[in-house]
Amino acid sequence: MLKIENLCKTYPNGTQALNGVSFEVEEGEFLAVIGLSGSGKSTLLRCINRLIEPTSGKIIWNDLDITAATGKEIRFIRRQIGMIFQQFNLVKRSSVSTNVLSGRLGYVPTIPSLFHVFSKDDHERVKKTLDMVGLADKIDVRADSLSGGQQQRVGIARALMQEPKMILADEPVASLDPVLAHSILKYLEKLNKDYGMTVICSLHFLDLVHRYATRAIALNEGRLVFEGLPKEIDDAQFKHIYGKEAERIEII
Amino acid sequence: MTKKQPEQQILHDNKKIIPFLSIIIPGSSQIIFKKPWRGFSIFIFLLISGYLVYWGFEKFEISKVQLNENNFIPWLILPLFLFYAWNIFDAFQISKNKKSPAIIAILSVMVILYTIGWSVTGVKLERLVTRFTDAKSVMNKLVNPDFFSTTINGKIEICSWGCLWDYSVAKINGSETTEVFLSSNVGQIFGQKGTVTASSWAVLFGKATKNQRIPGFETGKIIETIAIGLLATLFSTVLAVPVSFLAAHNIMKRIPGGSVVYYIVRTFLNIVRAIDTVVWGLIIIVWVGLGSFAGVIALTIHSIAALGKLFSEEIEHIDAGPVEAIEATGGNFYQIIRYAVIPQVIPSFLSYTLLRWDINMRSATVIGFVAGGGIGFFVLETIRMGGYQQYAAALWAIAVVIILVDYISSKWRFNILKDQPKFVEKKSTWKKVRNIIYVILAIIVFLYCWEITKIDLSKLFDPGPTFGRLLKDFISIDLTGKVIDNVLRELIITTMQAFLATTLGGILAIPFSFLAAKNLTGKSKFSSWIFYLVRSLFNILRSIEALLYVAIFVYWVGIGPFAGMLALAITTFALMGKLFSEAIENIDSGPIEAVSATGANKLQAIVYSVVPQIVPPFLSYLIYQWDINIRMATIIGFAGGGGIGLMLSTFFGSLQYHKAGTVIVAIVIIIAVMDFSSAKIREKFI
Ligand SMILES: Nc1ncnc2c1ncn2[C@@H]1O[C@H](COP(=O)(O)OP(=O)(O)OP(=O)(O)O)[C@@H](O)[C@H]1O
Ligand SMILES: [Mg+2]
Repeated sequence: MLKIENLCKTYPNGTQALNGVSFEVEEGEFLAVIGLSGSGKSTLLRCINRLIEPTSGKIIWNDLDITAATGKEIRFIRRQIGMIFQQFNLVKRSSVSTNVLSGRLGYVPTIPSLFHVFSKDDHERVKKTLDMVGLADKIDVRADSLSGGQQQRVGIARALMQEPKMILADEPVASLDPVLAHSILKYLEKLNKDYGMTVICSLHFLDLVHRYATRAIALNEGRLVFEGLPKEIDDAQFKHIYGKEAERIEII
Repeated sequence: MTKKQPEQQILHDNKKIIPFLSIIIPGSSQIIFKKPWRGFSIFIFLLISGYLVYWGFEKFEISKVQLNENNFIPWLILPLFLFYAWNIFDAFQISKNKKSPAIIAILSVMVILYTIGWSVTGVKLERLVTRFTDAKSVMNKLVNPDFFSTTINGKIEICSWGCLWDYSVAKINGSETTEVFLSSNVGQIFGQKGTVTASSWAVLFGKATKNQRIPGFETGKIIETIAIGLLATLFSTVLAVPVSFLAAHNIMKRIPGGSVVYYIVRTFLNIVRAIDTVVWGLIIIVWVGLGSFAGVIALTIHSIAALGKLFSEEIEHIDAGPVEAIEATGGNFYQIIRYAVIPQVIPSFLSYTLLRWDINMRSATVIGFVAGGGIGFFVLETIRMGGYQQYAAALWAIAVVIILVDYISSKWRFNILKDQPKFVEKKSTWKKVRNIIYVILAIIVFLYCWEITKIDLSKLFDPGPTFGRLLKDFISIDLTGKVIDNVLRELIITTMQAFLATTLGGILAIPFSFLAAKNLTGKSKFSSWIFYLVRSLFNILRSIEALLYVAIFVYWVGIGPFAGMLALAITTFALMGKLFSEAIENIDSGPIEAVSATGANKLQAIVYSVVPQIVPPFLSYLIYQWDINIRMATIIGFAGGGGIGLMLSTFFGSLQYHKAGTVIVAIVIIIAVMDFSSAKIREKFI
């Protein structure tokens, strides 16, 4: 169980991106995070694995205080949490296999890894995960020769290499067209349903939230303004989350 | 918002009074009217030109006119006053939200700078004409380089083009003629049989004793130069990589205390970079003695700093996404660098290394002027003995090598920067074998270079006798009034040399660059001939360093800053000509068509459609050239070109190290100031 208590983040330039956010995520949930651009979704997700230092508040994961972890402990926590990004964040010039292998970095000893020496097991695992995301034949090509949807699948494969208990996905489909969006989210759904991984995923489109999430939270200017089931987001809630001016547009 | 309103109120209420402030402090009311940049420039330029007018009058009686019986003033006060008056006028115009013509200010500053620059660099245009016969004789020698010789009346004489022609004709006709053979000069440049000091390999295998002179192949000076450039590039790249990580903010902020290291390393790199390779040569020979080894070290030091800066900027500009992703997997600091940073920077690092190789090869041709290795040393010798035909042969050899290097380097860079994703295919056996052959060849070349540049690392730990004193004196530099006065004078001369050379060379380059732009020259046979001719002229002139040109102008107009300025102007002309013509080739052809379609002739089309498009790139190239020239001007004196370089070499020569230290500090300061201001100007206008 992940418990967020009164989380605040103020950036050095004074922007208050998170303002006393508290909520809980049960194991095995698919939690959608929604909110306007700039509402603090990315900041929230990055605080959970401490890519961003929270200013105050607590993040407790299975009785482990993430906010109190230091150095080695943080890396130990991070390797159990896979992360998927809007811009895929692959090393474009490296091969697909190197990108996927880099998901093991939290597990392997430093010195061999610096010389690109990985165990046979790890190489086998690369093949298996790439098979799972349907990219087995692309193992040796350079990442930038893949299409956007394929690149995001490599991103998922990299996260899977970590054998994560939880997955953070920051607008994983915002750079993809609607059809690919579904195919990527289906992978996440599969990981959630079949492997019991907790998924926290920020999304832009409500229909995607309705289709995939088991629960949703909404942020507005760094505050939690909604917490509940996706179907509970009606027109009134919608205005509350997105502001009075907002119009509901349906996409696919 | 609430805080700003009263301030605006004050500004509004005093709109009539504020302009008067500029009478007392020029530029101040412009600053209050929220044009800080304008105000600051006015203030600084007025201060500088005022000082220059005073200084020029005091030291050189520049622009002296008689006021009455015993009062003299410089007439340069007039443009100075005009500038001052313009500043007040400008302040009033701004208060009325009107524009004032900045051209007045620019012109008055230009008049002051040119008048002073003209005098202090000793420009004597008439000499270009009155001593034209000297110029003609030296030009004659330059186009007839000493490559071949023949025997005339039992004496060995240089056989230049005309003689070669006669010889070939005679050979073809089968008639009798005296033999023609390669000059000994060619042997010295490219290599010849002779006696050499036994190589360390020969010593190692017991074939000779250390320092024994044995018959062997003397390395040619140009080969030595190539070796110096190659080794310096290799060493500096290897060393610059770790340094660049220390100078990259996005990396250093990840480790405790890293920001402090970052600032220290950055500052250090900037200082090292501000001192030219040739000046480093002066310092290094005190350490390890004269020779190619000193040259390699000097080039390496400067090159580490230059590459370190470029590399670190490249690291700072990488895509942060992969870094974040690797961090999120639980990777540590080293793994982040290995998997997220290094793969991203490899192509640009390689391309900068190749660029630097080009620059190092050029530096290697002149480092011999002070360090005593490579072709520079040979050139210096030929000039000393007045052997202009040998000098010419060396220049031609240099031109060939540098043009080749330039071509290879830019071709490789182009390929690297394309950086197309390749499908990682299985390597064929032939390719594997080929790669092994390449590696072996590279190792052989490396060892050969090591041998002929006489690299002796033990010398690093056994510094020359006065090196300790040099270090001590550099810490306690001489800051007495007289020294400062002299250094300041030379500094102004040096800056003026760079200023005149940049403008002169730049202006000369403009008409020629139009002739060397493919899209304008048209497709007729005649114009494409002109195109190739002018382009080749640019390329050949560009391949020779300014320092090597000085000798020609010293012969022509006499020793001093004027000769140095002309040498700088030649290289400026060549580089600007090339860059300008490329800029013209890159313009959008739409407007030309549109203007031509209205029935305009070629000249009209150029004025109305080409000129507006090329002004920004031309200006930015000129600023770039200005940065180069101010650096070059600091060393032009080593070859008789006047300015601060002459002073520096004199101080070094007479072991007055603490005065030399003062000069070096002055150079670092002037370069830092100029770099800063040109960066600001570029930011503002381009
Ligand atoms: N590094 C930073 N420094 C300063 N302010 C930042 C930084 N990163 C984000 N912010 C600000 O914090 C606020 C929240 O940003 P965040 O990226 O978390 O929003 P978001 O909901 O993910 O938006 P989007 O949908 O556009 O990705 C925004 O106002 C943003 O401008
Ligand atoms: Mg975001």
